Amino acid sequence: MDLEIQQRVKDMAEKYGPENVIVILGSSEAEAAGLAAETVSNGDPTYAGPLAGISLGLAVYHILEPEVKAEIDPTVYDNEVGMMEMVLDVEEISKEVSSIREQFSNI
Amino acid sequence: MVKEIERAGLPVVHICTIVPISLTVGANRIVPAVAIPHPLGNPALSKEEEKSVRRNLVLKALKALQTPVDDQTVFE
Amino acid sequence: MPYRVVHYINQFFGQVGGEDKADTQPFIKEGVVGPGMALKGALGQDAVIVATVICGDGYFNENLETAKAEVLSMVERYSPDIFIAGPAFNAGRYGVACGAICKEVKEKLGIPVITGMYPENPGVDLYKKDAYVVKTSDSAAGMRKAVPLMANLAIKLLKGEAIGSPDEDSYIERGIRKNVFKNELGAKRAVDMLVAKLSGAEFTTEYPMPAFDRVTPNPPIKDMSNAKVALVTSGGIVPKGNPDKIESSSASKYGRYSIAGVEALTADTYETAHGGYDPVYANADPNRVLPVDVMRELEKEGVIGKLYDYYYATVGNGTSVANAMKYAQAIAKDLIADGVQAVILTST
Repeated sequence: MDLEIQQRVKDMAEKYGPENVIVILGSSEAEAAGLAAETVSNGDPTYAGPLAGISLGLAVYHILEPEVKAEIDPTVYDNEVGMMEMVLDVEEISKEVSSIREQFSNI
Repeated sequence: MVKEIERAGLPVVHICTIVPISLTVGANRIVPAVAIPHPLGNPALSKEEEKSVRRNLVLKALKALQTPVDDQTVFE
Repeated sequence: MPYRVVHYINQFFGQVGGEDKADTQPFIKEGVVGPGMALKGALGQDAVIVATVICGDGYFNENLETAKAEVLSMVERYSPDIFIAGPAFNAGRYGVACGAICKEVKEKLGIPVITGMYPENPGVDLYKKDAYVVKTSDSAAGMRKAVPLMANLAIKLLKGEAIGSPDEDSYIERGIRKNVFKNELGAKRAVDMLVAKLSGAEFTTEYPMPAFDRVTPNPPIKDMSNAKVALVTSGGIVPKGNPDKIESSSASKYGRYSIAGVEALTADTYETAHGGYDPVYANADPNRVLPVDVMRELEKEGVIGKLYDYYYATVGNGTSVANAMKYAQAIAKDLIADGVQAVILTST
């Protein structure tokens, strides 16, 4: 996850309290999604950014996950995400992110 | 890439900054460049001076292409 | 008393910045920084990272002798028992820096040195004999696998334990021959291997043939004033907007672009797609990476016969060796078919 974004997530968690922050990812493939998810929940696994060694335990989801889709107006979702939903590996990405969430998110 | 172009039969000169890497990948004619983000330039100089530096490097490269070599050679 | 470790990392893992900070001069911090945290955990109680040296990859590679001396004097001050650099994964300049500084520390301080790289990193071939290079994956995503391997090897070296084969201790083979005693006679082992090979069974060679792949230099151009010369670059210079969407890293393609009638590249018409160096200078003046302006002048002056109407570009950032070979083979074929006689290839 981009170093600047790591810093912003860290700042937001400090400002609002980690229990009040949810991260929703849009990565287009499972490995990147998993790394980003792990970064905001268990710490940057590449140890390159501000979240290195810092476990925020944030709740993290991916926009393609069914529980997120269910919260969004279907027309809006279709307009904004519909195309990517067709071409990306929804199952693989969802599996990756939800597994990280189960392991590291404090929810 | 340099090696494959050479292998296909074309004389090729590699202008690059990190000479050890060029040697490792098998370039036969090597011209050391100025710096990684600007191999044929130098933003610290005026435009004219920079162009002159660039011209010298290219001329060196052309000279290398006209020089017979038996083995990997760095043209300083 | 735990062993003392000094760790070396680049500006990115050192939390200084990205490519824009690649010119960072070396400095030292007490304790751990970035991946040092993981290394610390993996080393456990046996060793402590007393200090971390951070240095920009660009600065190191562009100032090899001074940088090595500067870093060495910093390392020396902390009297380490072992020196660990990286891991650099597939980052070329980082790998070269790690290897070079490991070699320097080993030679000047006489302590064991370890680093970690992806086998295709150019730092491997250059320095595998000088430092133990633990085999890693090609990106920082492999940090968590790489660090424990490096730590384990470090502890072994510190305790003076015997180091196993490259496979056993996860390092890249060094090309160093060690005499060992085997239980069975060489002749028997050879025959057993032959029988296995003939019957299609698996076998492991005791001596893998090294892959020396050098190409004989082609003869020089005799008459440059009549020669057709082509420009090729791995520096990622592409028409503005990167129409072919060449990736900034691990390029899956190359581009062929017409420069017929182009006198010089400009910031409005061209840009760099390469993600492995600070793009500011190349974007401001792409001729700094692909010297079309000078080549055009030389063509007008008759120094060269003709500048080929097309140039080829790809991004040489973490591009796999196999792909680079493929692209170059195809490019060379085109060039030869079009009567090009020589090539200038620029890299960053």
